[in-house]
Amino acid sequence: MPIIEIENFTKTYPLPDNKNETFCAVDNVSLLIEMGEVFGILGPNGAGKTTTLEMLEGLNDIDGGHATIDGIDVQSYPFKIKEIIGVQLQASEYFDNLSLVELLTLFGALYSRDIDPTTLLEKVQLLDKAKAKPANLSGGQKQRFSIACALVNEPKVLFLDEPTTGLDPQAKRNIWDLVQDLNNNGMTIVLTTHNMEEAESLCHRIAIMDHGKIVAEGTPQNLILLHAPEPPEAPLHGNLEDVFLVLTGHALRD
Amino acid sequence: MKKVILSKLQLHLSKVFLMIFLRDRQSIFFSLFFPIIFMTVFGFVNNGQQEPLDIGVVNESDSVVAADFVQQLKDSLVFNVTIGTEGLLRSELEEGDQTMVLVIPEIFNTANLDRQSVELRILVDAAQLAQLSLVMPLLEQTLIEIEREFRETEPMFSLIIEDVQARSQSYLDFLLPGLMAFTLMQLSIAGSGYNIIEFRRKGILKRLFVTPIQPKDFITAIVLARTTIVLTQLVVLITFAILVLDVQIIGSFAAFFFVVILGTFIFLNLGFCLGSIAKTQQAAIMIGNIVIFPQIFLSGVFYPIESMPEFVQPVANVLPLSFVSTGMRDIANEGVSLLAIMPSLIGIAVWLVVSYVLATRLFVWKEVAN
Repeated sequence: MPIIEIENFTKTYPLPDNKNETFCAVDNVSLLIEMGEVFGILGPNGAGKTTTLEMLEGLNDIDGGHATIDGIDVQSYPFKIKEIIGVQLQASEYFDNLSLVELLTLFGALYSRDIDPTTLLEKVQLLDKAKAKPANLSGGQKQRFSIACALVNEPKVLFLDEPTTGLDPQAKRNIWDLVQDLNNNGMTIVLTTHNMEEAESLCHRIAIMDHGKIVAEGTPQNLILLHAPEPPEAPLHGNLEDVFLVLTGHALRD
Repeated sequence: MKKVILSKLQLHLSKVFLMIFLRDRQSIFFSLFFPIIFMTVFGFVNNGQQEPLDIGVVNESDSVVAADFVQQLKDSLVFNVTIGTEGLLRSELEEGDQTMVLVIPEIFNTANLDRQSVELRILVDAAQLAQLSLVMPLLEQTLIEIEREFRETEPMFSLIIEDVQARSQSYLDFLLPGLMAFTLMQLSIAGSGYNIIEFRRKGILKRLFVTPIQPKDFITAIVLARTTIVLTQLVVLITFAILVLDVQIIGSFAAFFFVVILGTFIFLNLGFCLGSIAKTQQAAIMIGNIVIFPQIFLSGVFYPIESMPEFVQPVANVLPLSFVSTGMRDIANEGVSLLAIMPSLIGIAVWLVVSYVLATRLFVWKEVAN
């Protein structure tokens, strides 16, 4: 049963060097995301992944199309949506001079919930940092803390925007374990990533975006079967990165 | 009237804002440092009387009258007299150590004074001409007194100065309300304006936006926290001024702080406008200065608006800080009631409405957060 239904999402922006013309950052995107799955959105920089997420989260206006999360219309009931989603943004800092516990308590208050910060910190293995300030955390710890903040309202859907970008392999695997663990407990997770290994090992299904459009969608296995370049021998070969490059080309993006 | 109930979230968020402020020791220190230093310096410098003027006297006459004249100058509190040769004092004048040099000629003696008027030369530095207009009447006065004594005539008139104000008022008494108004403006604009821009730059507002917090909760929390901060800082300042600097507040504290709170609301509103318009910290500081600077000079914080050039007064009089500082000063210095400062209160009310309307128009949660 789909928990997120996106129909014909469109977002246009004026061109940076010619204000009279527009380009489609998100171009007629339709997606069904099943309850309880880990769904990955892949794509080169500027493909429209973050914009699509932000349209779902209410951060970005929806120029065309519509979407529902858990049957609630995203545009009509933004505050109802905010209650049931958890969001980890690509880059966000927190208030200075507040400890992790104080910040989590604050986030709880934003959802009118009395939460137990220690349970959440334990979940993301930051219990020993309870009194630390976010500024003093390492990259991986910061991401885990961001995820903890996104969990205070026990969301039905968790959005993670490039959760492992810039992390070392240990920290990256640690986030994967956390995501898997959350998913095992029934949470639907939508994430964007540039990391093919991450998409392959974490995601049940994947959509690859380029130029605002979805160019392929399916399980990692299926995508490899369908799109990986044919080698001279061996039935299954290549990897998801090959798929990605075949579909989006080798040209560098900004 | 609608009853205002603060939600648990609003209270929690205000507490968080207060905590953030309290932990920012530097910011607390400097917001108190400036007004305290300023008041203390003026408290000592402006201790009721003026600094004596340094004048050099070259006495070329050896007469008793000349010696008597020099003695009178020395006795005067207005002058700090140095006796010397013309050459030496002239170079001191050029270096700025003397305000002027008075040369008493050799012919300054009883015999000559009886027959003709004697010329006294005054050497001045053109840069000090402003001082000259202050000094000349005093010198002439001293000379007239000598002349009277000499001719044995009685003065026809004498002036007696009577203070109409029941209590003596120092510049510090005048300065304190203005300085407090200035401090509340700074703290308020920083609280809503600069903070919002900082929160946005860090992505904090975007993060808050994806939670169910309503903009009104966010705004209420900032207003509540900032008003608390402003009141506390001003209580510290006023306590320091009364206990250490012996400043007098004769009006009602309740009325005084009523005006303070209204003023805080005006500048918080203007701060919200600033935070919504300015996209970068740099822009905010520039736009903030446009709001703050003219008010520092024109709103009667450091000297009365009436002492300003005629043509700026109409503008100066309608600035928000003018209404606030005038209201606070009238209460503090003259001890009048709220009813008596109605003109200021009406001005404050108009600014409250204007700034509120502007702030609600400009502060669009989604745009401010992104």
